[in-house]
Amino acid sequence: MRMTRTALVSLIAIFTLGVLPAVASARAVLLDGSTSMFPLVTQLATAYHKATHQPAPHVGQGTSGAGITDVAAGRVDIADVSRDPIIGVDPPGLRFTKVARDGVCVITNPSNHLTNISQQLVQEIFTGQIRSWSEVPGATASGPIDLFQRVASSGTQDAFQNIFLGETLKISPAADAEESEGTMRQAVISDPNGIGFTSFDFTPGTNAVGYQGIPCTLRNAKSGQYLGVRNFWMVTKGPPKGAAAKFINWVTSGNKVTKKIIASDWVVVH
Amino acid sequence: MPWRSRGKPDQRAELMLGALSVAVLVLIALMTLTVFAKAWPSFSHNGFISWFLPGGDVDQQIKAIENGPKTAGHYVYHLRAWPLLWATMLTTGLAVLFGLVLSILAAIFIVEFAPPPLRRVLDPVVRLLAGVPSVLYGLIGILVLAPWINANLISNGRKESVENVVQLNGNGLGLATLILMVMITPIMVSLIAGALGAVPKSWTEGSAALGVNRWRTTWRVSLRTARPAIIAAAVLATGRALGEAIMLAMVAGGRGFAPNLLDGFTVVFEPARPLAATIIQNFEELGDPPLAQTLYAFAAVLLISTALLSLAGWAAKQPLKRYGIR
Repeated sequence: MRMTRTALVSLIAIFTLGVLPAVASARAVLLDGSTSMFPLVTQLATAYHKATHQPAPHVGQGTSGAGITDVAAGRVDIADVSRDPIIGVDPPGLRFTKVARDGVCVITNPSNHLTNISQQLVQEIFTGQIRSWSEVPGATASGPIDLFQRVASSGTQDAFQNIFLGETLKISPAADAEESEGTMRQAVISDPNGIGFTSFDFTPGTNAVGYQGIPCTLRNAKSGQYLGVRNFWMVTKGPPKGAAAKFINWVTSGNKVTKKIIASDWVVVH
Repeated sequence: MPWRSRGKPDQRAELMLGALSVAVLVLIALMTLTVFAKAWPSFSHNGFISWFLPGGDVDQQIKAIENGPKTAGHYVYHLRAWPLLWATMLTTGLAVLFGLVLSILAAIFIVEFAPPPLRRVLDPVVRLLAGVPSVLYGLIGILVLAPWINANLISNGRKESVENVVQLNGNGLGLATLILMVMITPIMVSLIAGALGAVPKSWTEGSAALGVNRWRTTWRVSLRTARPAIIAAAVLATGRALGEAIMLAMVAGGRGFAPNLLDGFTVVFEPARPLAATIIQNFEELGDPPLAQTLYAFAAVLLISTALLSLAGWAAKQPLKRYGIR
């Protein structure tokens, strides 16, 4: 009898402590998607909570493609997508809202002091036509080139494909596929012969290579001189509604806080 | 307390436990049914035999499934899973093979030859090792061993010799097999040591009384008696190796590739991502129906393999039962 009462009391305690407040306060906005947008969106989410006292949005990470399927299925409120919409592939009815722009850098191992790379060279290296560092002018690595790419659903993969390779060229199937921006960075850092590409925010520790004579820096991305720049989108199913709309409106309102966060590593668009 | 009626608690406990075990069985049956139902489209679109055959680059096929149209009825399913199957067989088979030899020798040492103080240390250490989470092994592999192998063991000449087909960067079949072996050996050692310890003293003593030396007694009497346990250990270890995903996703190389034995020693460095690791690499996209169904097909193959494995283990044990223990 005593056991039962203890159990009952603790059950009630659990309910009042855990469940009731969760029901009472507004539900936090759920986000999922691009790993390259994750550092930006987590900062925005924390600042949003501070500025508006709304619950801080929960930010998950997968890939842009995963975000899109999740938002279309209603599992999350907003998808972080680091590639442009693709007609015919994206489910119909999605609304893309641009939140920032981001530099995509070609990266090599820090021991390889390659400073600049032409569009033709990027294409020849990533399609597998050039396979040895000795054929790459300016490279200080020697031996064969180890290619790293991202998995198919990555937004960075799509952006790299569109900006650096164009529509027809394909990345060599021999390239190792990395699941996230973090594993891509780690792979290139631990392989002296490696070459890959990441969002500007993930370049520390690697050698970020200039593209077409312009160094891959935040300043050059902001000024528009650096050409490897892509869009960051927040994607909703239909026009943004409710708490999700509030968050997106705050992010795109161009206020001081969002401008400061975005400008720290990305390009402000609002 | 009205519910505690006299004389019935045994019966009630029996019913409760029975219901629980039936619930577990039902759960397993439901899970199996779900996996097969979800996997069905992938098999039926490709044909039940051609799904397993070689043909084209499996990663490109997965990419095409992922990037295909998202409207039902237009899904892309084309897949030839051979490279993943081959990689699974190689990593699992080699790891179990080497691991088995190692663990039989280690178990013999622990049970028959180790001085008691050493045995008291070895026993718990082996059991502790058996419980190390695989992601730890994966981290050591990806942060320490793979870069080291890439820098010290793979020459540029070796890289160039296969560069038209595949690139070598330290992750690959050899490293995956090695770590897998390290992971599964402790389980086998502790099972085999247990069986060797359970061999009736009178049998070994009888052998010794006939003038047979210790090593020969162990080899001819103890080990023979323990054969069913050795098979059970191998089956359990193979099951663990088959299902190992995280560690292999980290160190087996980020590419679905069938290592080519004709490449000689280079095969050790070639990437070999098995089925379970492929599920891990793509599971972010489970929301995408055709890709999810393809991943379920991988899961179904793993499920059937483990079932067949248990069956084979059971069959292999039958003729040995007469002289064996357990």
